[in-house]
Amino acid sequence: MSKLIFLLQLEWLKVKSYRAFIVLLGLYGLLLPAFMFSAKKMPIPKQLGGNEILFMFPNVWLYLGYVGNWLVFFLLGFLAVQAISNETTNRTLRQNIINGLSRTDFFLSKLSFLTLINIAATLYYIVWALIFGFTNTETVYISKIYENIDTSGRYFIMCMGYSSLGLFLGVLFSRSILGLFVYFSYIMFIEKIIRYVLIRKVLGSKAMLFAPANAFNDLVPPPVPKILNQTIEGTDIRLFLYPTEAIITSTIYIFIFLYGAYYLLKTRDL
Amino acid sequence: MKVLAINNLTKRYGRITAVNQLNLDVEQGQIMGILGPNGSGKTTTLGIVLGITRADAGDFQWFEGQYGSGSSVLRQVGSLLETPNFYPYMTAEQNLAVVALIKRAKNVDYHHLLEIVNLAHRKDTPFSGYSLGMKQRLAIAATMVGDPSVLIFDEPTNGLDPAGIAEVRETIQNIAAQGKTIFMASHILDEVEKVCTHVAIIKNGDLLATGEVGSILSKDITVEIAAKDNDILRGLLADVNYISKIENRQQGLSISVKQGFGAYDLSQLAFEKGIILTHLVEKKRSLEQEFLQITSNN
Repeated sequence: MSKLIFLLQLEWLKVKSYRAFIVLLGLYGLLLPAFMFSAKKMPIPKQLGGNEILFMFPNVWLYLGYVGNWLVFFLLGFLAVQAISNETTNRTLRQNIINGLSRTDFFLSKLSFLTLINIAATLYYIVWALIFGFTNTETVYISKIYENIDTSGRYFIMCMGYSSLGLFLGVLFSRSILGLFVYFSYIMFIEKIIRYVLIRKVLGSKAMLFAPANAFNDLVPPPVPKILNQTIEGTDIRLFLYPTEAIITSTIYIFIFLYGAYYLLKTRDL
Repeated sequence: MKVLAINNLTKRYGRITAVNQLNLDVEQGQIMGILGPNGSGKTTTLGIVLGITRADAGDFQWFEGQYGSGSSVLRQVGSLLETPNFYPYMTAEQNLAVVALIKRAKNVDYHHLLEIVNLAHRKDTPFSGYSLGMKQRLAIAATMVGDPSVLIFDEPTNGLDPAGIAEVRETIQNIAAQGKTIFMASHILDEVEKVCTHVAIIKNGDLLATGEVGSILSKDITVEIAAKDNDILRGLLADVNYISKIENRQQGLSISVKQGFGAYDLSQLAFEKGIILTHLVEKKRSLEQEFLQITSNN
């Protein structure tokens, strides 16, 4: 326990005066409710249930979750890449080791700190979901709150997914700009090209859904009605992974990315 | 006690052997300088014993194994390797606090440390706002966090102006005066001679010589002399016992005389033998020349 406190304390000393850290977390805190509030102004016809439908239990878990999905990808992933690549760019990783920190402890201090942030980010999501839910649902049934509450567990795994990918890329590309560039372009373009062109067109395989960023995304997917999660025309491939599939796939990738980051840190000349 | 024992250490980068079967011991209380031209393997050697570079063969041991062999032994060592590495957005004191936490150093007097390196007045400036000399001085202050008994400095005066160089050397000498062991790499002979008690000379990864500074870097003096007939002069000096070497120069002879002798002795000798000298200049033997000689003979 005292070891964990030491690791968290070390990381806290490093980030508490780091402006990007404060800005990224501040943006997450601000934008998560802000995007939802802005949806209040969306013109959704009364026949479809009006705006309130987004904010009512159990839907609010899904809608707020999907907003969070984008924010976690952009902000917390950014933070994870920076957490490592900043240390290599400034050569402070090297200095930490010279000063007597083990490479394992360096890795664990990053991992434990990011995990703590992810826990906080998930709790923050839960709090806002409850606030929106209670203030917009006319008659609150306990069962309605619990329906879809499992999204919050998957939300945490999603946070860990983006963080582990960010950590891995941060270690792999020691220049922070390059690490960030690869992180964003991988998720937004490279993986999609691999999935649609290589796996689907060439191999004609269902495996296209099981790529890492897609699996993380499908943990908290866009809230389309279940009926829309049909197969893609002309194939037997669905649009999204089922939750269980997404959980298993993501967990495997998280372990691979974390182990990869640890292995590189452990064996590389710094 | 052997503070550091290096055994047969070897590191290759592709075809280049950066360190070749290096053996070196640093005893407690020594100020050991590793001297060598740029790219001779000094930093690689230090990088290996500091855990950031992997050796291909050989091993090393700190404090005769007293603190174990894990990375935690380095908490007992204060090190500055190549460049001062700090978090640019943090102040001097915040940066030192990170070092103190890693070293598990309690009750560190940051103000005192910053005073030693003359940075106390800038303690609230972020590291990124420091000049190169200030950064280097902060790095020296960082090596003293937790009051370690061993300090490692790699090219500590690199990139500093003359005033900064003098200041850093003085700081290092002050630290040495407290009885600490210092292991220092440098390509500047003068620096090693002024600061160190012991020296190891390396080139292309090979250890060429090691021992006390006095025994490796001689303090002989060179005297340049000339007469009308230099051959006669040379014959006259051939078996004078305080002369260690005579070399022909364009205008005369370059004579190496042992410590305690000088131009006066040679002038008197020539005068007694009735030779009139046309040229007489006493020069401290150039250390660079000496160093080049040691490294070129191998």
